[in-house]
Amino acid sequence: MSITKESANQHKNDPAIVCCRTTKGTVISPSDLEDPAILPDLEESGLVTIPENVLKIGQVIGAKLLKDIDGLTPITADLLEGIIEEKKEKSNVENGGNKVEKVSGNKEATFSGGFVRLSVDQMNGVNLEFPVEVLNSGLIKASSQAPAGKVEKIEDETVNTLKRREFAVKKVELGKETSFKNGVLVIREALCKEALKADPLTKKIEMDIITPDNRHQYSNTIMDVIPIAAKVEGGLGNGITNIMNDVVFILTGLDENGLQVHEFGSCEGYLDEKISYGKPGCPDQKDIMVRVHVTIAANTGMERRGPYAAHKACDVIIQEIREVLKKASASEAVKEEVCNEVVRHGRPRVVLVKEIMGQGAMHDNVMLPTEPAGVLGGRQNVDLGNVPVVLSANEVRDGGIHALTCIGPASKEDTRHYFREPLLEAMANDEEINLVGVVFIGSPQVNDEKTFVAKRLGTLAGTMNIEGAIVTTEGFGNNHIDFALNIEEIGKRGINVVGVTYAAYQGQLVVGNQYMDAMIEVNKDAGGFESEILGENTICPEDADRAVLMLKTKMAGIPIEAADRKWDNAVIQANQKLVK
Amino acid sequence: MNLTTARGMKSEIYAPVTPPPVWAPLTKPLKECRVAFLTAGGIHLKTQKPFNLAGDYTFREIPSDTPSSELMCSHGGFDNSDINKDVNAMFPIDRLRELVKEGFIGSLSPVFVGFMGGGGNVDKFREESGPAIAEILKKEKTDIAILTGGCGTCHRSATIVQRAVEAVGIATIIIAALPPIAKQQGAPRIAAAHVPIGSNAGEPNNKEMQTAILKDSLNAMTKMEHFGEMIMLPYEYRHNV
Repeated sequence: MSITKESANQHKNDPAIVCCRTTKGTVISPSDLEDPAILPDLEESGLVTIPENVLKIGQVIGAKLLKDIDGLTPITADLLEGIIEEKKEKSNVENGGNKVEKVSGNKEATFSGGFVRLSVDQMNGVNLEFPVEVLNSGLIKASSQAPAGKVEKIEDETVNTLKRREFAVKKVELGKETSFKNGVLVIREALCKEALKADPLTKKIEMDIITPDNRHQYSNTIMDVIPIAAKVEGGLGNGITNIMNDVVFILTGLDENGLQVHEFGSCEGYLDEKISYGKPGCPDQKDIMVRVHVTIAANTGMERRGPYAAHKACDVIIQEIREVLKKASASEAVKEEVCNEVVRHGRPRVVLVKEIMGQGAMHDNVMLPTEPAGVLGGRQNVDLGNVPVVLSANEVRDGGIHALTCIGPASKEDTRHYFREPLLEAMANDEEINLVGVVFIGSPQVNDEKTFVAKRLGTLAGTMNIEGAIVTTEGFGNNHIDFALNIEEIGKRGINVVGVTYAAYQGQLVVGNQYMDAMIEVNKDAGGFESEILGENTICPEDADRAVLMLKTKMAGIPIEAADRKWDNAVIQANQKLVK
Repeated sequence: MNLTTARGMKSEIYAPVTPPPVWAPLTKPLKECRVAFLTAGGIHLKTQKPFNLAGDYTFREIPSDTPSSELMCSHGGFDNSDINKDVNAMFPIDRLRELVKEGFIGSLSPVFVGFMGGGGNVDKFREESGPAIAEILKKEKTDIAILTGGCGTCHRSATIVQRAVEAVGIATIIIAALPPIAKQQGAPRIAAAHVPIGSNAGEPNNKEMQTAILKDSLNAMTKMEHFGEMIMLPYEYRHNV
């Protein structure tokens, strides 16, 4: 493929190779040359061997070809007439000049925004150092979205609080009446029948209790892991929420033909083998599991209405528990935690962008239900056209997302994952940055719509006056188009972006762009595969730490080294070591 | 307050670039061409073994005279409801037979191919399935192969197979619902309509649209001269899932 004039200028020091068969007498122009960006691929596949005496692009433009040559032939001096003499820049090269392209120092906390950029064409042995305070002294006037030179005081402003009361659950049993007393949760067995009314597509509901000491039990694929939490006061994201500890719902499903309600593989199998216990979206080792198994109408497992019916039915059962949990006495709580939503004035504004699936079937999410992690009262992102929707940190922590997507089990984020999203906690608790909100954006089914929603995200990010963003996506495949578009739309506005996803071997990116230069891999599988173990390849606290460090490093103007061409776990471990 | 930073951090994920060109010119008029259809969208005969939804690089040979009622889909990467209504939305086998009858194309390759490209093993598709499928089509003296993707990684797998087929001298085009993936993965020719994944070849039970997408794609092949050329088709269908 030929290159443009701009590209030729940018790559003037890269090897000149003709892209196509070129005939004698041709005056070489950029359109005759192969894109240097794909040379490593060409070399790797053996199509090109680049000799040492190959000329540079800057030398061959305008020169005349002396004989016919085939495509992908490296241009050497013997083939040309009128070569442009290479300018000798000895001192530069030997002293490592030209490496410094920009010096940025925009991160002094008392100075909001503004930057100093020094572009260097030639530099010889220069060691440039100056105190960052100079930025605040008024000696250098910087322009940015914030008024130049305006000092913003470092202070924390709490704008919202959410109180979470946690209650220990020692035992769960099925019985005649739903109750919660002295740490014993009884769930009314007849709910299995009553919950069928939630949706005509639900045909049968079964429920059983799985204790931590009895995990070697077969299970159909896990569609979701759902915490039990209820609003006592206020709405989602504020007031008081009661939460049951040490117990979690797992939802499994089949259709009437016996097909698993799943997509890319399923985690059906033994519960002690098919769950990555302790991951944010998984049961913990000590958790009691209440398993709700729903049979839905034949052939609806791969259509949107089928899995949704199963989630609605499960929510009916949980709702009755929420009603008794609401009445639990505050004095019986084992822990009371106050989640403050803090505006950290004087520190870089950052945003977390969570890409969620939005393609129907099991590729959907309920946003902002009435009860924490519930279904009723929420809106599905598919119905909202997958456009970006901003939630506050506390709305997310308070169960603002009910995931309908727990399939492709290793790399998808389920309801419990959002309930305790480690990246949100890492960003919200980091006193060096100011998390302004969490943007949820869907991954639409149609390519045109992918562009539409990504552009809305870019515009939104532009209006938020942010300096940094972390973009995550669950799963892999077509959503990586959205992932690339979303990063590009934010990145091209001069905002520092870090991308977080599972890619590794099986999920390697299908598209890419220049803004995807700071990426965090969340794979945990040794072979880099979608392992069919629930939650294995989702974001865990260590991944979150690396992502935040990478974002801060990028915001400080310190370069992030380019990725290797192939996934290598050693790179991830080396980055992990840099996290203090 | 200073930011805590680290020198020597390295990006952990490679963002890809397009692989080298592969190109087989179309040398005959359409009405003399023998055409095959391949899909990565998980289509197979109801009597054949369903694909492993966790990722599967095997493929199924589908005789081109198979009634469309005998076909089904095993794929979880997208909403299946459109294919359940009309398999031609992914695998337009009825439309292709009509095109032969009409004289728009010469004949159909006796063998079409279905595979499930979702989450597929890239190396296996590149080294085994792609070349094997290409060999089958070559043996059947196929002139043109048309492909559909399916989901995102299906488009990747489909493009790998497309490149293998093009490499044995058969002109190919992918009808892509996700053209950025086809483009990035190095598809020789791309036609893209405004359709959702799951009905890549056009709205279910919309014979006119499905026919037009096929005809426009085939006509585009007669004009395309360079690797990576793409044509946007003026057909739009929104799937209200």
